[in-house]
Amino acid sequence: MAAAVTVTDRQPTKKTQSPFRQVVKRVLGYPGARIAVVFIFVLVVVAVLAPFMGLDSLTQDVANRLQPPSGEHWFGTDELGRDIMARTIQGARTSLFSAAGAVVIAASFGVPIGLIAGFYGGWRDAILMRVIDVMLALPAILFAMALIAVLGRSQITALIAVGVVGIPSFARITRAQVLSLKNREYVTAVEALGGSSVYSMFRTVLPNSWSPILVQIVILSSVAILLEAALAFLGLGVPPPTPSWGEMLRTGKSFLRDAPHYAVLPGVILTCTILCLDTLGRTLARVLEDRNEFGAETEMEAGVA
Amino acid sequence: MIGYVARRLLQLLPVLLIGSVGIWAMIYAVPGGPVGLIVGENASQAQIDAVTEELGLNDPVMVQYGRWLSGAVTGDLGTSIQSGNETVVSLIASRIPATMQLGFMAIFIGLILSIPLAIISARWPGSLPDRLISGYAALVLGVPTFWLGILFILFFSVRLGFLPAASSFIPIWEQPVQAIKMTLLPAATLGIYTSGIFVRFLRASLLSELRSDYVRTAHSKGVRHRLVLIRHVLRNALLPFVTVVGLQTGNFIGGAVVTEAVFTYPGLGRMLIQAIGTRDYPLIQGTILVVLVLYVVVNVIVDVVYAYLDPRIQYS
Repeated sequence: MAAAVTVTDRQPTKKTQSPFRQVVKRVLGYPGARIAVVFIFVLVVVAVLAPFMGLDSLTQDVANRLQPPSGEHWFGTDELGRDIMARTIQGARTSLFSAAGAVVIAASFGVPIGLIAGFYGGWRDAILMRVIDVMLALPAILFAMALIAVLGRSQITALIAVGVVGIPSFARITRAQVLSLKNREYVTAVEALGGSSVYSMFRTVLPNSWSPILVQIVILSSVAILLEAALAFLGLGVPPPTPSWGEMLRTGKSFLRDAPHYAVLPGVILTCTILCLDTLGRTLARVLEDRNEFGAETEMEAGVA
Repeated sequence: MIGYVARRLLQLLPVLLIGSVGIWAMIYAVPGGPVGLIVGENASQAQIDAVTEELGLNDPVMVQYGRWLSGAVTGDLGTSIQSGNETVVSLIASRIPATMQLGFMAIFIGLILSIPLAIISARWPGSLPDRLISGYAALVLGVPTFWLGILFILFFSVRLGFLPAASSFIPIWEQPVQAIKMTLLPAATLGIYTSGIFVRFLRASLLSELRSDYVRTAHSKGVRHRLVLIRHVLRNALLPFVTVVGLQTGNFIGGAVVTEAVFTYPGLGRMLIQAIGTRDYPLIQGTILVVLVLYVVVNVIVDVVYAYLDPRIQYS
């Protein structure tokens, strides 16, 4: 009896399962994506809780400089005797914060640009897409460097530069999606019923374009982390003493002979983060493609050489 | 064909125009502007006025842009602020051979790695080797080149000691062995990264060709699958692949900044980093302009070559 009750209890919930939960379930069906989700989850939790973990990433202890990994310092110490593990965790905050900010900038400019260009077409499309072409006429890292050359070097300018570099990918994906949706019956129906173009653009077309945009958000997060680290590695990102992964690799490179752990260990975390976000993005794309909600391909698979 | 080339070149104009305005306007957006860069913070008003007049900043904006652009077109990008009286053009020209040598070697390594892998993948799709190769592509595209470069230095220079950690530029036509030794590590770093892009593209291209009618015809004639793949399919799959290789080559002109920085290789990208560090704006503007122009021109060349190689495609 008890078993029968459970079965009847379950069935209605299964039917009313939201599309979001279905997608999450399908994504987690892939072992690679499961690992990626766990890694990213742990990273985010550690980064958020870092201020409460009693980590000391700034105190110098020159007597114990460049120590290899030990029980006391799991990742060893750097050239000023600071704990590399603590700095790596603080660096995760820098990276995740920059990536989140960059994605917000890229999406909040790119999506409306693509929406307007695709929806109205004509001269608006021509002008907006020419500007996007120019933004793509330089390798991403060079474009970001040019922006930093103008704006100066700080965490915020690095974030803005990476965000601006990401605008074209959102614009193009949204535009492609809008073009494929624009002439569907339900969109023309809204117009026939007297809905304004702004209404149909934001309330009809945009809600149906979320799948490729969502995939792009995940993929751009990984590109943003890579770009931010690359800029810091070039000495154009977050200025010291704020810990960042790119800056640690940059400094660590000078001590490869005496302290190989210095450049290698933060790099492991950086690489895992990028690979996990990338895996998650591609799994998500595959799942959404299966659901036939996908008109546009993802962009910016890479950009830093 | 000529019409197509002309149209493609015309399409460049808006991109070059908007891009050049952006690059020209850079210096005005810098805090202090172009005058502040020259006179410094504690200049008197008379000094500021004199420099403003000397730079022609009292002229209308369009005149200033026109002057800068006509200079750029005739090969005058000004003089570098930091390195004495060297012209920007000569500084850029001195770095281009190094960048090209690295770029071509990287593409070569990328091709050597990727073509066999892609053929194996497409020969047995879905098999264990295929999945391993797909994993390889995902891995090399995810690993940051600067970290891979560091690992290479650690292993080949620090541990084994047979390749230099810091590269310098030796022209390959002067001392081939030394040149390859110097360029091998940065080129391998870039080449491995590129091979990920190449493998993914060529595999997809091969698999879509394998579905063609001529493949079925060849099979029904009794031609062995391996021969069909190598003799017929590979040739046709390489056509669109040329595009990707060309675009990637364009990407390495100035786009290999990070790898150049890891190995302190004296290319265009590293000069740009140094220029940004020393706030040498004429050099920054010049380098970015040159990279922009080369990059878009390479794009057009790639398109035209593709149109030439594949007569099936009608360009309208």
